Amino acid sequence: MIRNMKLELITVVAVLAFIVVFLIISAGGSHAFSGSDDVGSQKISELTGHPVESFKPLIPQYEPPSGEIEATLFALQAAFGGVVLGIVFGYWLGQRKASATA
Amino acid sequence: MHIMEGFLPWQWCIVWWLIAIPFLVLGIIELRSMMRKDREYLPLLGVCGAFIFILSALKLPSVTGSCSHPTGTGLSTMCFGVFITSIVGAIVLLFQSLLLAHGGLSTLGANMVSMAIGGPLAGYAVYRLLKNTTVNIYVTVFLVTAVADLVTYVITSFELALAYPAQAGGIPTSFAAFFAIFAVTQIPLAIVEGCVLALVFKYIVALKPEILIKLNVFSEDQITRARLQEGKVSPAEVRS
Repeated sequence: MIRNMKLELITVVAVLAFIVVFLIISAGGSHAFSGSDDVGSQKISELTGHPVESFKPLIPQYEPPSGEIEATLFALQAAFGGVVLGIVFGYWLGQRKASATA
Repeated sequence: MHIMEGFLPWQWCIVWWLIAIPFLVLGIIELRSMMRKDREYLPLLGVCGAFIFILSALKLPSVTGSCSHPTGTGLSTMCFGVFITSIVGAIVLLFQSLLLAHGGLSTLGANMVSMAIGGPLAGYAVYRLLKNTTVNIYVTVFLVTAVADLVTYVITSFELALAYPAQAGGIPTSFAAFFAIFAVTQIPLAIVEGCVLALVFKYIVALKPEILIKLNVFSEDQITRARLQEGKVSPAEVRS
């Protein structure tokens, strides 16, 4: 078995620290936590002096009609990755077990 | 880190597309020759690609009060190099621009240059620098992923600064402004991403070390030493 768990510990600590920092910052209530893409777009409109709405797509594109649908598509994207990950790690684990008993 | 559709003047769209295309072409050539040679690599490519898919779907809150996503390109860069990574990154970006309106077809070139090409290139430089040193391989993985993530956002800032120089102060001023939005947000995310991918790498080392040795991601010596540290193999087994 894997005996040395140092890296696992470091990762858990890093993730926990990340969450704690987030909780402290979000408690202030002064941040919207909008996407940095949108903040970037606002900055562009600030620099150019044109409102955000005046930037029209050069190539027409599909836009998810609501945040819900967008969330679904993002979840699908992550789920697809998760499925592939599970298959491959399971496949490798099986291979290893089979070669160990052979 | 996407530049939204319509937010880049068409001249710049063309410039970034022209830079991106050679990488994509070389990536397809490399991918084809690799698949013809040995299909054993495909599962590992699947894992690397899966992480780009998962991580770039996670929009995480950060210290600056906005949300941004990690890129996950570091792992793929170490295993398969920049060109193949650019293909995988391009697929994710294409998906997001077609279905999610995150980035668009005209800005796809610029987004590919930052996430699928520039970040991986920087990560690859770090990897080459540390590969044959005594630095612990997991530290290397951490640094490669964190740098690939961070540089992606630095390049996005640079692309926007070039297209939109500030009236007072020009490109440097507007670079600083975009840098503050994109790259500073990304620092904590890059650190967490580095830890997570180092952990994933540890499991790949535990389950499938032979594929990493075959691809010469690290030397056999380094992989064996890492496995010894984990207690996966006894010293006697290594010698035989």
